[in-house]
Amino acid sequence: MSNADAVRDSIYRSCMYKDDMKWQEWLDLCDEDFQYSITAYSPEIRNDMIYLSGDREEMRGMMKMLPKHNTDHSPLKRHCSVYAVDLEDDGSMATAVSSVVVYQTQLDGINSHVDAGESKVFLVGRYFDKFRISDGVAKFVEREVKLDTRKLDKGSHYPI
Amino acid sequence: MARSRNHEQWTSPPPFTQEEYVDSRIYSDQDIFEEELEKIFKKSWIPVCHESELPEPYDFRTTTIAKEPIILTRAKDGKVRAFLNVCPHRGNMLERAPSGSFLDGSPSGNPRHITCMFHAWQFDMKGRCVYISRQEEGYQDRLKKSQMGLRELKCEVYFGGFVWVTLNDQIDMTVEEWSAGSLEVLKPSLDEEPLEVFHYHKAIIPCNYKLWHDTNCEFYHDYLHYHNRITGFNDAYFARKNTGFDNGHINVGSFEVQYDNYEGSHSREEISFPHLPPNHWYMIDMFPGVNFNLRGSSLRCDIMTPLGPNEVMIEFRGLGLKNDDAVTRRSRIDHHNSIWGPFGRNLHEDLLAVTGQGSAMNPRAENRQILHGRHENETIHDENGMRHFYEEWGRWMDRMPSNPDKPFVERTTATSATG
Repeated sequence: MSNADAVRDSIYRSCMYKDDMKWQEWLDLCDEDFQYSITAYSPEIRNDMIYLSGDREEMRGMMKMLPKHNTDHSPLKRHCSVYAVDLEDDGSMATAVSSVVVYQTQLDGINSHVDAGESKVFLVGRYFDKFRISDGVAKFVEREVKLDTRKLDKGSHYPI
Repeated sequence: MARSRNHEQWTSPPPFTQEEYVDSRIYSDQDIFEEELEKIFKKSWIPVCHESELPEPYDFRTTTIAKEPIILTRAKDGKVRAFLNVCPHRGNMLERAPSGSFLDGSPSGNPRHITCMFHAWQFDMKGRCVYISRQEEGYQDRLKKSQMGLRELKCEVYFGGFVWVTLNDQIDMTVEEWSAGSLEVLKPSLDEEPLEVFHYHKAIIPCNYKLWHDTNCEFYHDYLHYHNRITGFNDAYFARKNTGFDNGHINVGSFEVQYDNYEGSHSREEISFPHLPPNHWYMIDMFPGVNFNLRGSSLRCDIMTPLGPNEVMIEFRGLGLKNDDAVTRRSRIDHHNSIWGPFGRNLHEDLLAVTGQGSAMNPRAENRQILHGRHENETIHDENGMRHFYEEWGRWMDRMPSNPDKPFVERTTATSATG
């Protein structure tokens, strides 16, 4: 597998793991100095915003605490297309830009008798990723989920 | 012996006074909702944004109160003014963007003017009509620009730079008078130096606006939040006072939040607001649907825009000090959003709960009683805040919250505002 393919493989695997709520497997794709953030630009206040952020341990802690929280268990599924992968000259680092659409299939968020089973677009945005590549494996160093969607209604406890 | 109830028992009044429960129809009835817009939202002072959202001359911000589109402008004199965002010619909405600047011209108009794109009528930042296209050819001397100004609304910048607007020309009080002392507890913290909005997002939730306001007014629902139970729920927490003020406003007193008790969280004592003790947490709920929530390092403000009997838009803002350095600002953002952002731990839980209430109180659903009957010496789990709100609501609506078909009757026994 080429280094560019390794980057794409990590991006798609991260989507699968998060879709399946395999948070540990997702974080295993990330390097020790990994930084995660969900951001958006607000045309209302004309500023960039950070909706959520954390390093690898903070994200691990957040996921560990999920069972203690009441939450909307409607699963999120990520449809991702990797648009561009750019490798540094020595092949040790890479950046990638992907499009992502997240669908939510209603389970217990509203009235399950009526709404359960309905899928809706939850949000759209882009992934801006940085990778460290070693022995053909691309590990996430940074992921910024830059949202277009800013009307998030009930929101979510899950990373995107 | 505990038992379930049949229809008659279920719909019978609870063993409370009529001030201690409300009829669920006030959360779902279309006629009551329309009446609330007319009698309450068109008559009150509503904060619509923060002055940092239109910091420069010629900046604008658009908003809505009671279905009326509104535009705020900052003129060259620095003053923020409010107008109906409606062209006096053919009733088109003048400005469609949420915010921006009129410094640049638009496709239909000149720089420094509000231009209606439809027929190119133009207005200045003070709402004066300054240009009518082909005026003389079409109107001869029958219509003058001086007759075609925008509809100006009363507007004040007050309480840490929030911009307040009312549709009520006849309102006989300032925002300070309207607040009736409820804002005093936080004025030293918010007025010491300029604030700035760092967070904005909105949610449209299928529930009545009052259900969200109720949730902000009562802390008994901290059982919903693992975070609040583990960082609160001690003697100081249970001693927090709910205090009522005239016009239906309330305060919730402070205590020191034990942020360290939540795994992965840290004390916020290094960053606070002026005059706010470290890690403290005050709350102000203003009639009819506004919340100011100063917690540790960040200020949250909820503004509710009712969209229907079972639908509300809530705008969430996070604010820090304008002079924050980058590191401090980043910490405030993280602190705010880990709890109150759209992916935060608590806000999602709160919104789930009121969504559930909305789902169970659909229009024409069997009416039921919603209990506001907890008495705990006016402390944190007492429901005196909600009782205080609904007493005011009944007065404005001339309806009894416990039976909205009946006219409002003042309580005969002398009680304090919080009683």
